[in-house]
Amino acid sequence: MERAAKWFEFKECVIVPKSTGKKAKNLKELRTLLGRVSDESIAHHTYQYFLSGRVLEYTNAFALWAGESLGEKGLSEHLSNIDPYSFSKIEALRHELLKAIDSRLSVLPRPRDAMAGDEFFFSESLTLTFPVRIRARNLAEFLMAVRYVDRSCIYYHFYEARRRLGGGADDFSKWFSASLGQEALAEKIGSIDPFMHTLDGIREHIAVAVEDEVRKAMEELSS
Amino acid sequence: MITDYAGISPRGDLLLLQRLGERLAGKSFLHVNSTRLGGGVAEILQRMVPILRELGIEARWEILEGDQKFFDITKKIHNALQGDQVEISPEMWEYHYEVNKKNAERLDLDADAVLIHDPQPVPLVLFRKRGRWIWRCHIDLSNPAAGVARFLKRYCRQYDAAIFSVAKFVMPMAIDQFIIQPSIDPLSEKNRDVRKEEIEETTGRLGIPQDRPIILQVSRYDRFKDPIGVIKAYRMVKKYNDCILVLAGSPATDDPEGEVVLKAVTDFAADDPDIHVLMLPPNSDRDINVLQRVATVILQKSLKEGFGLTVSEGMWKGKPVVGGAAGGIPVQIVNGTNGFLVHSVEGAAFRIRQLLNNPEMAQEMGRRGQDHVRTNFLMTRQIRDYLSVWYSLERKGKGKGKGVFLEP
Repeated sequence: MERAAKWFEFKECVIVPKSTGKKAKNLKELRTLLGRVSDESIAHHTYQYFLSGRVLEYTNAFALWAGESLGEKGLSEHLSNIDPYSFSKIEALRHELLKAIDSRLSVLPRPRDAMAGDEFFFSESLTLTFPVRIRARNLAEFLMAVRYVDRSCIYYHFYEARRRLGGGADDFSKWFSASLGQEALAEKIGSIDPFMHTLDGIREHIAVAVEDEVRKAMEELSS
Repeated sequence: MITDYAGISPRGDLLLLQRLGERLAGKSFLHVNSTRLGGGVAEILQRMVPILRELGIEARWEILEGDQKFFDITKKIHNALQGDQVEISPEMWEYHYEVNKKNAERLDLDADAVLIHDPQPVPLVLFRKRGRWIWRCHIDLSNPAAGVARFLKRYCRQYDAAIFSVAKFVMPMAIDQFIIQPSIDPLSEKNRDVRKEEIEETTGRLGIPQDRPIILQVSRYDRFKDPIGVIKAYRMVKKYNDCILVLAGSPATDDPEGEVVLKAVTDFAADDPDIHVLMLPPNSDRDINVLQRVATVILQKSLKEGFGLTVSEGMWKGKPVVGGAAGGIPVQIVNGTNGFLVHSVEGAAFRIRQLLNNPEMAQEMGRRGQDHVRTNFLMTRQIRDYLSVWYSLERKGKGKGKGVFLEP
């Protein structure tokens, strides 16, 4: 097994949306375009949606639009329940999204139009990733850093890592396990449901779990 | 200067600005627009250019010069692009081109990157010497007069990329088109922290009592800002909650309707002593700042809107904002989280009452709004995005994959 880096180097990514020029005014058009747009566009509206901070109600931009702009609450729930990280290829994710929309269209021959200006605008993204000059050598340093880094740092290591590493893994768990031998902590962080928390919520869960470990270590030392 | 934003802007934005600055240092970056004073573009450029220079970029800002005839034409083009059915004759387009040609002879257009702001200087691209040329459109192009948009595209297609404020404002073209939202400057006179004495002096001078909740709308006297609808909403609220309404605007020389709307508003307000209709002189930034800080609820009940940065200004002061679901307002207000989006006078009245009767909710929404602005609508983020786009154009065709990784 490849040995992980000893330091944990915090990185961050920023996204500048890029228009594809394509827009859908109803479910039929969404279905057609969803079948044609680039993989980057699907990724922008699903994986990168977690950076928007609106995850508690909807978990991707398609669900948000179906729920808020078309009033398609049932479809919206269906789309929100699709876990993009369970697919190793975007094509499979695209297929699953299309399946949900097709299922709704089969009982909705004439879908309603969204209001003018409230269409679904397909975008891609320009993504820039960079280290934020913060490194942690141990859990105490990590705890200090994780409390204060920007939200996009949490996004990069907790959400973006899932796509990069595959298998539901995130950078934090990987470092706890591979570099610090903290298997239980890694498991605890790995079990945080990415769909049930905001980025600040994820940060808090991580900080609490790490603080527990730091406290335990301090107690062991002092006893 | 960039260090002034430490502790205000997200740290990552400042770091990325430094990183991009290191990579673009020594390169030249020219901005061209049509006014040095007045309007959001000039306001941002005044602050942005010194910051770019501090990053080591040779930033310049040039102004397109034209006569009254030219600006009458560009005002018509502007209105047509925002949906008015206005005809632009071939002679007018010719004059638009000729004025740009004369400016091209006068201006030094030699730069590594050139950012052309809005339609007035758009033909300058025909005189490009080198570098990346980007057209920055600050206006709503979602429903333009077709002929005018078609003609304008002849110029736009010559650019390497275009930048729009909101996805729905994009005009389909076969060049890269980025979405970069506008921003506010937290250190400007309009948004900086104010002292208690400044609040007392300003409210005293403007005659605004602070003994009851204040509902505030800051906007030009323009029918699309719906000032009459604001008064109607206030009257509905007043039946349940004693409060004060403040409407604050400044004269706009390019808006002949302004005086008519102002008269309609003062007539409609009648003799209600709790409605304060203020016509502030241009550049009353500190007064606006103070009014936003003493307000209990901020309204932006627009029926049609460009981006509506007054929403972000209000949020930055920690106030809950009730906004019409128009233009860029839905991008700023996450309904029910940091404010409310409304579609009617009744909706506005109901949400104002909700906020006046639930001060804790209002406070929490205000806190979330301020946080939302800090992450998304501060000027450092906008500069970061401009440099990101320029850098990505410089790297086009280089490196693997679509993303950019900036090593230390």
